[in-house]
Amino acid sequence: MTPEQIHIKLHEKFDDHILEFNVEALDPYVKIDPAKIYEVATFLRQTSELDFTALMCLSGMDYGVDENLGVVYNLHSIQHNHRITIRVDLSRENPTLPSVETIWRTADWHEREAFDLLGIRFEGHRDLRRILCPDDWEGYPLRKDYIVQEFYKGIRVPYQEDWMKYETLEKNPERGNFVFQFESKVPELIESAKNGNNSDHKPEGSTDG
Amino acid sequence: MASYFRDIYRAIKTIAIGMGQTWKAMFRPAITLQYPNQKWELPVNARGILFNNVDDCIGCYKCARICPVQCIYIDTVKATADEDLGKASMGNPIRQHLIRFDIDMFKCCFCDLCTIVCPTECLYMTDEYENSVFSRDNGIYHFAKYLPEEARALKMREVEADMEKAKAKEAAIAAKKKAAAEKAAVPA
Amino acid sequence: MFGNLFKKKRYLFDDEGTMVFDMAHSTGKYYDEAMKKLEVESYQGDEMVVNMGPQHPSTHGVLRLELVLDGEVVKKTTPHIGYLHRNFEKHAENIGYNEVIPFCDRIDYLASMNQDMAYALAVEKLIGLSDLPEKVEYMRVLTCELNRIASHLVAIGTFGLDVGAFTPFLWAFRDREKIMDLFEWLSGARLLYNYIWVGGLAREVPDGWFEKVREFLDYFGPKMVEFDKLLSTNHIFIARTAEVGILAPDLAVSYGCTGPVLRGSGIKWDLRKDEPYSYYDRFDFDVPVGAGELGQLGSVLDRYLVRIREIDESVKIIRQVLEGIEPFKDQDVKAAIPKKIRPAAGAEVYVRSETPRGELGFLIRSDGSDVPFRVKARSPCFSNISVIDNISRGGMIADLVVIIGSLDIVLGCIDR
Repeated sequence: MTPEQIHIKLHEKFDDHILEFNVEALDPYVKIDPAKIYEVATFLRQTSELDFTALMCLSGMDYGVDENLGVVYNLHSIQHNHRITIRVDLSRENPTLPSVETIWRTADWHEREAFDLLGIRFEGHRDLRRILCPDDWEGYPLRKDYIVQEFYKGIRVPYQEDWMKYETLEKNPERGNFVFQFESKVPELIESAKNGNNSDHKPEGSTDG
Repeated sequence: MASYFRDIYRAIKTIAIGMGQTWKAMFRPAITLQYPNQKWELPVNARGILFNNVDDCIGCYKCARICPVQCIYIDTVKATADEDLGKASMGNPIRQHLIRFDIDMFKCCFCDLCTIVCPTECLYMTDEYENSVFSRDNGIYHFAKYLPEEARALKMREVEADMEKAKAKEAAIAAKKKAAAEKAAVPA
Repeated sequence: MFGNLFKKKRYLFDDEGTMVFDMAHSTGKYYDEAMKKLEVESYQGDEMVVNMGPQHPSTHGVLRLELVLDGEVVKKTTPHIGYLHRNFEKHAENIGYNEVIPFCDRIDYLASMNQDMAYALAVEKLIGLSDLPEKVEYMRVLTCELNRIASHLVAIGTFGLDVGAFTPFLWAFRDREKIMDLFEWLSGARLLYNYIWVGGLAREVPDGWFEKVREFLDYFGPKMVEFDKLLSTNHIFIARTAEVGILAPDLAVSYGCTGPVLRGSGIKWDLRKDEPYSYYDRFDFDVPVGAGELGQLGSVLDRYLVRIREIDESVKIIRQVLEGIEPFKDQDVKAAIPKKIRPAAGAEVYVRSETPRGELGFLIRSDGSDVPFRVKARSPCFSNISVIDNISRGGMIADLVVIIGSLDIVLGCIDR
């Protein structure tokens, strides 16, 4: 079935809850109401013409600091060999949606991962614990506004480049170790590379000639 | 009972077949090397410790920027108009003093990206792979050839030049403002 | 000495009083029949919680299993993962598209080429890059299949180690070394290659490399026959594995199992055949599936045999590649590498490809800048290991070791 036909099928059943259908995207997707995800998933799994037996991937998304969170379901049917992407958008304050763990068992761990890294809560999940991070980890690392905690059980978490500070000429004279009071230019260069002027950057002094 | 003995017979038979294989292997030449005495011959582009030939380095920051783990630290000072630092062996003009080129080999992930982007091919990976050291400091490789005092002086020169430029800019802005204010004051 | 052993023999009787289970034959059909007739609860004693791992040689890395045991019978297995978690996805959000590739290598460090390939395919689809030079495509298939052989050799070698056979492990590693040497010559590294790039390859193929590959194939062919004689036909090995860790086909699909784990359960699903990417549609090869000839379908032995046969298929593909690449040997492998990778804002793509352990999918979203906005790696081992509770329940704790070995997990791939 083509994505259009799948969308028509879905539209017949869940008229008001289909929020968006995009067929021009690289992976054609249907955006639905998060509250209806369980019903839609059951329909997709159990209708014989659709028969989406496999949940290829379940990914939590963070669309930006002031934007929504979301979940993307990439579905595939081994029998019919067709695929569709289901998306839901969730509010940042209360990212909650029903779990599809009982429909596809693989969603069990993928939902735990989305909960662990993005803080999306799946209602009805039987075992919603952190899976990759330790249980007492603070915050959700994949959120765009995540700030890493300073200490975890007395261990400093962020990496510090101490050697740039303590190395002095006196310490190891024959190797020529020395220290500058001036900060290295590398961090800001990487910063500028991230802002987009990557290949436009020319080394200082090369502009005049 | 019959199946019990059949199982035993099969087990012994199949083990004997396997043992025959291992017996054959006894007469094959050894494929192992006595490591510290004998060493493997590495291919040309094998990835070992990084080395920078600073005479050819033009300080373009390409390696530092592409490094996924950010283990290359570069600091350069722009050459003044009357200084001629020559050319790299591939013809690229050198326009800045490379006062610092440090590589933290503990952080290096040996991905080879830096050597591929290097325009003068001065940064390359040697076939040296035994880089365990006794002190943490020795894992950080310094390649810049300026003495600390020289480097500091060069850096100070640049900072002073920058400050002067900033001062001149401020003065220019102030002058402009003054001129504008005067212009505005004239018709009134 | 033997007297004690026989005294400890433990029999089980069903309702009519006939013996159905004998400790001495704890593997094989006796065992399974007993398990079916006598529920685990019927000889319930005191439950015991045992911790297995994270530092345990048979867990293939830092996997921790929390086992609820009744005697020697496993009642519940709770995997705890994350000891090797490096948050690849957060890394990828902070570095450029090309710099992600060294991190992709480290997802599944036994099959780095396949990981690079999956990522490169995803980014190429994202920026709409197609029609790569023929040499690039052929080389990608060639390196991926070589790496598949190397990875399967580790898998079956360590699996032999799990069931108590030591020689196959050494032999597998000996042959894997040859592949590592080929890759070292090609890319400079032995394990983490960073060789397949978006739109091309990192380095030109050295002179004489293809001849060396041919030499390797000629050397490697007879070795697999030896391997079969050594392990695959061993009666003890078959008795130990043929009816252990049964994974039903529908359960395998529902749990998202892929690769040899799925095919071992009898489902003929291989992305190289069913959703061909790169040049896989040009080659003639079979997809081996488990048939359960020697035991039950979906057993540990089936998964092992699928891997053995896949090695033969990979050899077949490589021979075809070596023929097909002949006219394109002079092409420039770096010709199509894009200068700047900057996909359209909001573009998102999910691309999967077949790695030795199953389907590796990359979901990449772009915000129009030089760095990816979101990279999600759907790793095959993550889904494969989640089924372990289901297939180990009711089995012996010694069989659990075999089951873990048959799933062929790499902890770097699970934890990412």
